[in-house]
Amino acid sequence: MATPLGERAFAEHVKSKLDATFQKINDGAPGVSGLAKFTKAWMYGREFLFPRDIRTQERKEFDQEAFKETFEILGKSKQLWRVIETFTQDLRRQLPLIDEEVLEFMRQYQETEDVTIIRRMIMRVAEWWKAWAPVPELGSPIMTAFNMEFQTHFFSILPPTFPSAFKALCASTLGQPADPEMWQTFETLGLLDRYENLVASVCYEQIEARVQETCVGEWSQPMLSQLRSWMADDIVQWMIMPYARAARNPEETRSMLHGVGSRFDFHVCKTLCDLRTTEIFDIIVDFPDSMPALIDLKECLQRVDQRSELVSTLRSLYDHLLIELLANRKRLLHPGADTKDILHQYVSMIRCLRVIDPPGVLLHKVADPVRRYLRERPDTIRSIVSSLVGEGGDLVDENEPIQPLHVQVEDYSDPNWEPEAIDAGPEFRTNKPSDVISTLVSIYDSKDLFVKELQVLLAQRLLAITDGNFDKERRNIEILKIRFGEAALQVCEVMLRDMTDSRRIDQHVQSQKPCLMHPTIISKHFWPPLQTGKLQMPGQYKEILETYSKEFTAFKQDKKLRYLPQLGTLDLTIELTDRTLDVHVPPLEAAVIELFSTKDEWILDDLSKELNVDSSAVRQALDTWVDYGVVSEDKLHHFVLLETSESGSAAGPSRPAAPRTDKSLKEFVGKPAVVENEAAPVMSAQQQEAEQMRVYWKFIEGMLTNLGTLPLDRIQTMLRFAPGYSRSIEQLGVFMEAARREGLVVNTNGLWKLSK
Amino acid sequence: MEQITTSLAPPRSSPKVASSTNGGEGAGSVTKRLSNELMNLMMSASPGISAFPKSDANLFEWAGTIEGASGTIYAGLTFRISISFPPNYPYVSPIIKFESPCYHPNVDLAGNICLDILQDKWSAVYSVQTILLSLQSLLGEPNNASPLNNDAANLWDSPEEFKVQLMKYYRPIGNDSA
Repeated sequence: MATPLGERAFAEHVKSKLDATFQKINDGAPGVSGLAKFTKAWMYGREFLFPRDIRTQERKEFDQEAFKETFEILGKSKQLWRVIETFTQDLRRQLPLIDEEVLEFMRQYQETEDVTIIRRMIMRVAEWWKAWAPVPELGSPIMTAFNMEFQTHFFSILPPTFPSAFKALCASTLGQPADPEMWQTFETLGLLDRYENLVASVCYEQIEARVQETCVGEWSQPMLSQLRSWMADDIVQWMIMPYARAARNPEETRSMLHGVGSRFDFHVCKTLCDLRTTEIFDIIVDFPDSMPALIDLKECLQRVDQRSELVSTLRSLYDHLLIELLANRKRLLHPGADTKDILHQYVSMIRCLRVIDPPGVLLHKVADPVRRYLRERPDTIRSIVSSLVGEGGDLVDENEPIQPLHVQVEDYSDPNWEPEAIDAGPEFRTNKPSDVISTLVSIYDSKDLFVKELQVLLAQRLLAITDGNFDKERRNIEILKIRFGEAALQVCEVMLRDMTDSRRIDQHVQSQKPCLMHPTIISKHFWPPLQTGKLQMPGQYKEILETYSKEFTAFKQDKKLRYLPQLGTLDLTIELTDRTLDVHVPPLEAAVIELFSTKDEWILDDLSKELNVDSSAVRQALDTWVDYGVVSEDKLHHFVLLETSESGSAAGPSRPAAPRTDKSLKEFVGKPAVVENEAAPVMSAQQQEAEQMRVYWKFIEGMLTNLGTLPLDRIQTMLRFAPGYSRSIEQLGVFMEAARREGLVVNTNGLWKLSK
Repeated sequence: MEQITTSLAPPRSSPKVASSTNGGEGAGSVTKRLSNELMNLMMSASPGISAFPKSDANLFEWAGTIEGASGTIYAGLTFRISISFPPNYPYVSPIIKFESPCYHPNVDLAGNICLDILQDKWSAVYSVQTILLSLQSLLGEPNNASPLNNDAANLWDSPEEFKVQLMKYYRPIGNDSA
């Protein structure tokens, strides 16, 4: 049989290869003795490496000599790779041996949830690993191959419940004595690499739980430092195991923990920051008790960039608050209370945000809606001003340095200059040194409004002082001068001067001609308009007033006194037949009783005419005397003097003694508001309401006359023109309905018009 | 006291002078003046005259109503007018037009009015109320010397014919009101 050429060549080739291999394996030994030696070595090597079932078989004794010889032979004949390959194949075949145990452990764990089972399992697997691991002398490639095979299989058989079990196991070691063996095993089995996130999340969860547990609602002490020391004491200790096991000295430990440590520190800050952000409203309410929490928040914000979150939280909070307030205002019809509240809130917010962010960028971003709201409130200025002069002055912190109210220009030569915060908007103006009051005043474009209001308030306060002690007001003015500048407060200065001058003038006049009256003399042009009345003081009062006036003119020739008699008070002694009364009354009351000293019986209208005062006011004055039991109304509008008290039987014949002597008629100008109350009989809330509604009705009539028919909401918005209108549309609706019943208006299809 | 008064009085008055020439501050004071005028007008209760801003957004445009005074040929008739205040009010008079047709010697067919106090005789002391009162009296007492509506001026002396013409043009308000 002829052999084709190709076949022969192939055979040649195979033969030469075979020979070469043989030579290699035989190691140039005579005959096949080399081969036999190799075979022995191979068998030994495979046997040595073979992964046995450790449950049934002991590992073979490790014989240094035999091992060395074997692998020398295998290495020399360049067949080591084959050994590894065979080992790998053997390993693959044998690996499923561990399955049974692993699954059994996992089953137990699922039943008991006992993490020690997981630990036992891992340690057991590690035993398998140790039994099977090739000796290190074989070099790293075989080790790598082994580890890969082993881990791949191990991970593949782990049930899905393992990660959480593993995490639980990690967590269980917190606060326990360190367990280096276990962590070493974790690393050996590649668990640490694979579940790094889980280990970290153990930490994160610890941090979050700790923050929740210790920090919620705890604003009165700095928590961040406590958290950090807790971290240092408890967590870092624990972190050494997963992250810095290999460290040989504290120096190394520190450097190994540095990266992960700062990650956890960041998480501490972030968690605390999140918590405080959600709590911010109550923190502000609690200020200044919540100061430590604010300092914490400030520190956290420097670490964590969550300023925008804080801003949006605050803004939405305040939006809600304002909406609520607006709703409240409509419901309660009580504009005064909530302005104070909101101002108070705003001031707390100013203070809080200045702690967190001294340049005021945050405040600037948050405050806008509040400021807009306040600007729209009619009594904001009054509230601010009254706190400026120390009435209900919780808005102003006494300890705060008083600063002039000037727009600050950036001072670049200031060594402490800092650039604007990164999130400062273009319209942000640096106002670093501004205090609370400056911030409040800056709600309005100009401070003139404040100065005006200040004058009114000062007028009220000065006139209410009866003991001649103006020190407090003087001090207020001095403080305010620093804020608003000398010029703005010049008028206030004059007002103060008037008060002291009054005393001086009075002393002079008294020295010329003693008088019972001690007027306060004010310069008309420098005082806010005061309530003027037409009250004509009768009888002896008239005399007193005129005498005094004459003396004054003699003293100050170019000046004339014009009395505002309704603003004073009098101390009277009323002598009646059977009793004497000492009373402290307003001038109108005094005037009324003076008239009774000329005539025992008066008709209301006559009194009114005599005194040139509205009859309702006179009636009120009469009521005072009725209360004192000095007069009584025997018929409607007809009053008689009770010379003897009503209980004391028959009416005495004698004349009433004139209210006499100890009468110091002090021209003392009260608050305009108070004056109004005095002038009119005390109106009930409903009467006041009705009175206001009468004004509003005029406006409604006006708009309906000229604009035809209007829907309710248009009427509501148009009533903006009516001064002080603050009703809700629902109230207006009720009012319009009442007007409709009275036949003043008709409503067709929701449109109101005047009925004609 | 005297010293203070004399030394302080001039600076107090000077800013006021300055503010009237200052446009920015002027707008605010015009608004204030108009608000006050509105308040006064609302509370004055003069019969037959009334006016109110057309919308809550603009205080410078008002609608007004004038009823003819009793005893005149316009008695019982009601006219709608528009009042437009210039930004420099009250230094310049408001512009007033009849919105509803008014057959009158001093009112042209477009509603323009010839009234001295609205032109050269204007003074800042006048107010909406005085203007409305003047217009009301103008209805009954036209100035036939300077007519805008010559037909009406010529007819004035024959009241019956005038009334016929008047009623031909007259549209009662209320039907057209929005």
